[in-house]
Amino acid sequence: MIQDYFRSYAVLIIFVAVAVVVPIGMLGISYMASLVKVRPQRSTRIKRAPYEGGMRPLGDKPRRFNFRYYYYALLFVAFDVETVLLYPWAVRHGVLSRQFGWAALGAVLVFLFVVTVGYLYAWRKKALEWQ
Amino acid sequence: MTVQDLWLLSPEIAMTGVAIAIVFADFFISNKRTLAYLAVGLLALPLLFSLNIWFGVVGDTTATSGLFGSIVADRFALFFHFLLLGITATVIIGSVQYIERLKEFEGEFIALVLLSVTGMLLLVSARELISIYVALELTALPAAALAAFRRDNLSVEAGLKFIILSAVASAVLLYGIVFIYGYTGTTNLAAILVRLNDLPVDSSVPFGSYGVLFAVVMIVAGFAFKMAVVPWQMWVPDVYQGSPTPVAAFLSTASKASAFAVVIRIMYTSFGSVDLQQDWSALFAVLAAASMVFGNLLALSQTNLKRLLGYSTIAHAGYMLVGVAAVAANTSSGSAIAGPQGTMYYLAGYAFTNLAVFFAIIAISNRTGSNEISSLNGLGKRSPLLGVLLTVGVISLLGIPPTVGFMSKAVVFSAAVNSGLLWLAVIGVVNSVVSAFYYLRIVRAIYFEEPKDDSRITADVPVLFATSVAVVGVALFGAVPWLILRLAEKSLELLLA
Repeated sequence: MIQDYFRSYAVLIIFVAVAVVVPIGMLGISYMASLVKVRPQRSTRIKRAPYEGGMRPLGDKPRRFNFRYYYYALLFVAFDVETVLLYPWAVRHGVLSRQFGWAALGAVLVFLFVVTVGYLYAWRKKALEWQ
Repeated sequence: MTVQDLWLLSPEIAMTGVAIAIVFADFFISNKRTLAYLAVGLLALPLLFSLNIWFGVVGDTTATSGLFGSIVADRFALFFHFLLLGITATVIIGSVQYIERLKEFEGEFIALVLLSVTGMLLLVSARELISIYVALELTALPAAALAAFRRDNLSVEAGLKFIILSAVASAVLLYGIVFIYGYTGTTNLAAILVRLNDLPVDSSVPFGSYGVLFAVVMIVAGFAFKMAVVPWQMWVPDVYQGSPTPVAAFLSTASKASAFAVVIRIMYTSFGSVDLQQDWSALFAVLAAASMVFGNLLALSQTNLKRLLGYSTIAHAGYMLVGVAAVAANTSSGSAIAGPQGTMYYLAGYAFTNLAVFFAIIAISNRTGSNEISSLNGLGKRSPLLGVLLTVGVISLLGIPPTVGFMSKAVVFSAAVNSGLLWLAVIGVVNSVVSAFYYLRIVRAIYFEEPKDDSRITADVPVLFATSVAVVGVALFGAVPWLILRLAEKSLELLLA
């Protein structure tokens, strides 16, 4: 049993080895290709940008962003998780209610109540107002 | 989940309900004093549910464990439920005035205390390592927010230190849990004991193999953070000094008690066989000695009261560990449970003592605005009542009869002698003498120093009430120690069986 336990670490070591070898190998092949003039080197401003695709970056300094987004992000996470949990429950409600009766509904109502208190809290503490 | 499980969990569920109710009531109640009293009143709910399990009045509470064996509501857990609820009620009453001065987030302060206590209630009744870990995190997160509650530099630093170091301690604890799981294939405390017996044992190594030894050391290190035991003590003075004083009182009593409870439970349930008991007894004996010496030596030169109490709490964690180290396996007579019983008595007594001292200091610093020892100068003249209350608390910390501090030290040291740890008892007694130096400095400031201004200090009624209740506890349980000792004995019956 102990032997099996340590053998399972061998898989991990292989994984780490692959994770190290693959990216270094790719960079190495690319570099060697440029030595034998297979890979062209035509650098442009856009190619040197942090993100080659998408919008051109505005400004160069790390900029301040509005702290109030933080409240929205927090509330979003709370309600997102709520939905994630509600969805499978709603799909399986028929089965659950046959097995557990009203408790299947009651458990979710308690859960919704707790989340709602959180929502009311944010509302009362004026976290939703954009001052 | 069955109805039985719900009954076993009823104190924790009630406590969560109380915390949510307080958040809700905060919207409508503008007088925060009323809100605090409401919270204390609502604490009767979890208390009633705990009493119900103890006496078995309503519902099916006979199950030995619930939620697939991860929760147990035995008398050991209930003993700590009563203790924690008592501490919480005292802390909330004592911080009424403090809460009023906050001007905002008063309701949140109470709700965070209640949520942290929910975690502690769960922690003392958990009987499975992952549940223990989750409960521990539930305890630590609100506590970190509370430590940063004053939002000045010191307080934020305290909160940050607390959360980072508690995260590190949690990581260490989890690592230990992983090793235990790797060796035994289970996280259930009772099952761990059975599986450990099946493993091949190398008798030259403590705990039978290096893996288990490593795991136990890691788990103990994770909890040593909460217990404030050397070498995981470095957060204590900074956090106590920086955080609001009621929070420091709360951390030093409730948090510590729950951590000791879970350590005693893990050790006696999972590593309860005679050989293993002797192995971890040696580990705790060394930690106890180191904590006592370190805490007392560093407390000698402190001038800030809260910092001094921080180092004093490290030393007291050492005295309590003496009881844990005095394992049943090493005793010759029938006093098999004297060690853990002594620790439980010590925890209860220390809770009363420390609450008395902290709340007397809150009452004083509400007027003087300072936490230095020199701010106590002439307190005997400025407020005779507070002077007496604080003195009783301090001499109980020092361990002078007839206070509970003396009785609890006597119980744990005699347990140590009975289980062959004479050297540890000697270190403990010597340390008690050393601690007299800094504790008596407080008493000297109260009665023998001249005050800078002679204005009288009058304390607010709630904080005075909380201090008085704690001091009455100090005197009562010092005079009749068997009240708690018998309760602890009853609580331990199942755990040690």
